[in-house]
This record gives sequence, structure tokens and C-alpha cells, in this order.
Amino acid sequence: MPYQLPNRPADLRESMYFPEIIRGIGALTKHFLRNLFFSRDRNPDILERRRGEFGVADNVTLQYPEERQPYPPGYRGLHRLVPREDGKPRCVACYMCATICPAQCIYIEAGEYADDPIEKYPVKFVIDELRCIVCGFCVEACPKDAIRMDTGEHAPPSYQRAAQVWDEKRLLRGPSVSYQYDPWLRRGSPSIPPAKLEEMRARAKPFPSAGTDEYAQTPGFSVRVLAQEAKERAERPR
Amino acid sequence: MSRLVGMIVVLAALLAGLVALGAGFYLAAGGLEVVFQRFLGAPPSFGAAVANVVTLMLVLLMLLASLTTVAERKWSAMMQNRIGANRIRVFGSALGGIPFLAADALKMLTKERTEPSGRTRILFELAPALAFAPVFALFAIVPVGPGIPLRTIVEGAAGLSTSVALQVAQPDVGLLYVFAIASLQVYGTALAGWASNNKLALLGGVRASSQMISYEVSLGLSLVGTMIAYRTLRLEEMVAAQGAPVLGPIPALGLLLQPLGFLIFFASAFAETKRAPFDLPEGESEIVGYFLEYSGMKFGLMFLAEFVEIVVLSAIVTAVFLGGWHPIVVNTEWLRRQVSPFWFASIGVAAFLVKTIVLMWLQLTIRWLLPRFRFDQIQKLCWKILLPAALANVFVTAAAMLIDPSMRLLAWIGAATIVLISVITAAAGRAPSGEPGAAHAVAGH
Repeated sequence: MPYQLPNRPADLRESMYFPEIIRGIGALTKHFLRNLFFSRDRNPDILERRRGEFGVADNVTLQYPEERQPYPPGYRGLHRLVPREDGKPRCVACYMCATICPAQCIYIEAGEYADDPIEKYPVKFVIDELRCIVCGFCVEACPKDAIRMDTGEHAPPSYQRAAQVWDEKRLLRGPSVSYQYDPWLRRGSPSIPPAKLEEMRARAKPFPSAGTDEYAQTPGFSVRVLAQEAKERAERPR
Repeated sequence: MSRLVGMIVVLAALLAGLVALGAGFYLAAGGLEVVFQRFLGAPPSFGAAVANVVTLMLVLLMLLASLTTVAERKWSAMMQNRIGANRIRVFGSALGGIPFLAADALKMLTKERTEPSGRTRILFELAPALAFAPVFALFAIVPVGPGIPLRTIVEGAAGLSTSVALQVAQPDVGLLYVFAIASLQVYGTALAGWASNNKLALLGGVRASSQMISYEVSLGLSLVGTMIAYRTLRLEEMVAAQGAPVLGPIPALGLLLQPLGFLIFFASAFAETKRAPFDLPEGESEIVGYFLEYSGMKFGLMFLAEFVEIVVLSAIVTAVFLGGWHPIVVNTEWLRRQVSPFWFASIGVAAFLVKTIVLMWLQLTIRWLLPRFRFDQIQKLCWKILLPAALANVFVTAAAMLIDPSMRLLAWIGAATIVLISVITAAAGRAPSGEPGAAHAVAGH
């Protein structure tokens, strides 16, 4: 127990019931009147909402589907396969994630681009979201930064189990990422037109030395950005 | 702030609506009196009785009782810093949760009827009616509005020297009728528990009968003091007597003359309603209660009986202790001189209804304030606290009335009691060890 509860016999006033009941009615009346006459703060930024002051209701309710709470730092959303600038997956079908996955929920079939003898790619990349335990090992294991858990999404509900088995078409989404040392940028790839290749090279970034590097996260898409905003907000003087 | 303005507008509209409602009730009663006398040749009091049964019992009582089911959700939500039922929206507005009334009624009426095979058929079917009918009948003697001459309502009815009162029945036995009918309620609950052929339901029925029969005693004794003070059993005479000033300008309210009687009656009648903290017969966490085997509208009737009882209890307390239709914020005689008798009576009805609604709110507050008593605590509260206090109240009242028949001594005693209770309530209690708030903060709450 975090604190000691005093365990004492009721004194005379408390054993008379009525005075204590009247005090309790007073406390409830205070809340009732404030919630009756004052509207609750509808600030969409729910961490900024005021309550417990005069002129504002005491309500704490979050009207869930309409109002949502930002996720805490470290929240892992559902997976996504990170696309390259040309829309193909960054994944090179190395099976690292499927190997480390403790729930064995990742299934990969590797294939090769017909015109590019070096690059591999996943013909099939299937994650059974019902088996996934959301541990994040696959994200850590990936040498290509090709799978991330930064969507900030819950598993969406569905009526069939099959709808929870996500294939590469469903997983490949979100902002694209390119790094300078990516082999298809350094060496060129027959499947990418030269003009597009130049554009991709121009926008590529150095490979992050740590997962917390700014560009390792997708701005506006990453929960870490939200967490940083929440932190700044908490430190801001009221 | 817009909500503040809106709420004040709504409350003002509610007040005006209650006055209009009272006026409508008087028009209905007066009109039917004329119709009965002129066209049917019946005594005019028949017409008023028929109109009052329809307007007071079927419209007012049922409307208040069914709105209480919605109010319980919304008011309890406000007390607990929640929003409450707001998901049914009519044109984008939740309308204070009132559409849930229709949803509830629809649900109750269309639910599957399941019945236990070993039930005692007749009693099982009869029990909801037996639980509902007595509380419903109790409202018959509540004087909602003052009696006014018929000619002030209907123009050209000057020949008719009868008066119109918003009261279904005016029996001489008055409060004894309340005790007699209120004690019939126990049949509904006890029979529902017994006829269900279910151990838990039977347990609930037994608990209900023991609790209700115990509290009958203090319920009856708590009102003896008011009978002595006002020298009558009739509720309408009690209400009329409460308008007379006793301590300077202060009227002889039952609350002033009998504060102890008020508390005891309120607590006992609260126990009769079988709601928390006295909801042992229901006790949904231990036994589901005497209506365990009921479903659909049969359960709904038992459920509604509780809410009707809330309204009736509030109305009786208003009539006996809070001055009934006297609008106590302004002097009754002054108001009577200002407006015509018809509108005076309508304002009186509004005053009565406002007091009733405030008392209903108070009951819901207590229901959401206190946890359930243990069974021995319930019996101890009745037999060791309320009953001796009620007896002492009877003796003190009788002695005070014997010494000073003008009720002034009684009013002083009552005022002293109120001051004493206020002082005890306001006095700081023993300081709790440590600071719970700080401990909560440390624990991260």
C-alpha cells in the first residue's frame, strides 16, 4: 500500500450518521452544480484541458471515438513495411525478422527482380497480427530499416480472422525513406529510371547511428515526435 | 459560460412550465366539474376527482417517475464528474438524455419473457402489480395545489359554490392512509421473492419484508409529532397550517417544528423505497434480489415502482415538512393579494413541484453517496437509533404543545435542534493522520 489508512473507531459525530451524511451531500452538490452549470473544456489537446477551476466543469470524460489521447512515448503501433522513394519495399528478404520473431508470425517468400541480378525482394511478406506479440524484435533485427512499428495504430477490429493476416500490399505504407549507402542508390538499378534515381540520391540521408536520430523517425508520423511534443508541453510554464 | 446562460434559461423555462402545468391542471379539474354538473347531473366533486386522477396520477406522477429514471443516470453522472447517457441523439442533440426514456421503454416491452418453471403462477404474475399499486395509490392524498373557488377558474360558473383542489382524495384519516397503504407494499416484494421458486429471490423477499416491517414502526412514529403539532391528520390542513407565521415572519414549517421528525421520516421512508443505502432486498452484488426471475415489463414495473415511490415520498415530505404549495421564498398572504386566485394557485402548484423535485434530487444524491448498509446495521439503525429518537420526539412535542399551544415553544425547540445539527456538521472532525492528498500525489494518482 502506498500510504497508511488510519483504522480508528468512529467518533461520536461519525456514529451519529446524519452530520457526516450532510457533509457528503455537500461534497456531491458541489460537483453536481459545477457540472450542471459549467461546460467542460473541449480543448482538442486533451492534456491542456482545464478542470477543477471556477467556470469549468469537473468532468474528466474523454468521448473516445471523437476525442483520443496521444500515445505515451515508447508506444509500438502496428507494423509497416517502409517503402523506397519509388514505392517498392526497402525489404531485401533476408529473413532476419522472421528468424528472430518469437511468435513466428512473419512469413516471407523471397524473389529476385528479373532485370536486377543482385537485389532480392519479398514476393510475399505476411504478418499474422493475431499471433504478433508486438515485441518489436523484428524492427531491431532489420538491417535495412525496412520494417517499423511507428504507425501508432491499434489492431483494427474485424469480423474474420483472415482479415488480421496482413500481406505486403497492406503492410507497405507510410512515408518513404532512402539512405545514401543503399545499394540501389550507389550502384544504380535497372528497375529505377535514371531521373528518378538522381532524385532519390538527392533526398537520401546518411544512415542513422542510433534509433533516436531525428531522421530515423518519420516526422509527423512517429509516436516519438508526439512524445516529444507532449514532453515540451509538460515543461512549458502554465 | 454559454452553458451557464443556457442552464439559467432552461431553469426559468422549467419554472414557467410548472406554473403553466398547474394552471392546466386547475383548468382540467374546474372544466370537468362544470361538465359533470351541467351535462351529467353528477356532483361536481366527481368531475374534479376524475380530472385529478388523470392529471395528477397518470400524467404528473408517471411523468415524474419515468423522468427520474433518466435523471438518475444524468444526475449521478454529474455528481461523479461524468457526462452520462448521451449517445442517442435527436437532430444532433442529446437532449439531456431524455430520448433514453423511449429506448428503455422499447427495450422493456420487447424483451424476451423468461419465467421459471417452478413458479407459483398466480402470485408470480400478481407480484409486480402488488408492488406497484400501493405506491401509486399513495399519491391520491397528496395536496398538490390549494383549493380555490370554482368561479375563479370558469367564468359564469358563479352559481356553483364548490371549490377545486388538486388532490384526488381528501379522506379524514389522512396520514393513516399513508401508513396503511405503504405497509401493503411488502406483499409485492415478499410474494415476488417467494413465488419465483428461487433461493436468492426468496432471500431478497425475506430481507425486504424484515426491513420494511421494521421501518414501518419508526415511519409511523416520526409523523406523530406533526399530527400533534398541527392537530390534524389531513394533509391539506397540515399544508394550510404551515403558512401561518410562528416565529416573527417565519412560517410554521414542519421542518422548523419537527426537524428530528423530518430526519427520521426521511430515513425511514428512504428505507421503504428499498434503494441504496437500504437496497439489501436488491443487493445486486450478493443476491440479485426479489425480482431476480422477472424479465421484460414485469421487471420494469417493479423498477418503476421504486421511482414512483421516490416521487411519492418527496411529495409527502413536501406536504408535511416543507410547506406544500406555500412558496416559502415569498410571503403567501402577500402573494395572494398580488395575483388572482387562479394564478396564485398555479404558482402554488409550481412551488410544490419545485420542492418535490429538489427532494427527489436529494434522494438520488444520498443514493449515490452512501454504500449499502450491512443487515445488522440496518436493524440497529432502525431499532436502536430511529425508534428511540422518534419516541423522544413524540414526548417532547407533546410536552411542548401542552405547555404552549401556540406552537412557539415547539418552534424554538426545533430551531435549537437545527442550530445544533448545523454546528455539529460544521465543526471540524478529527484530523486524519497524514495527508491523504499528498500520499495520493506520491503514489502517482
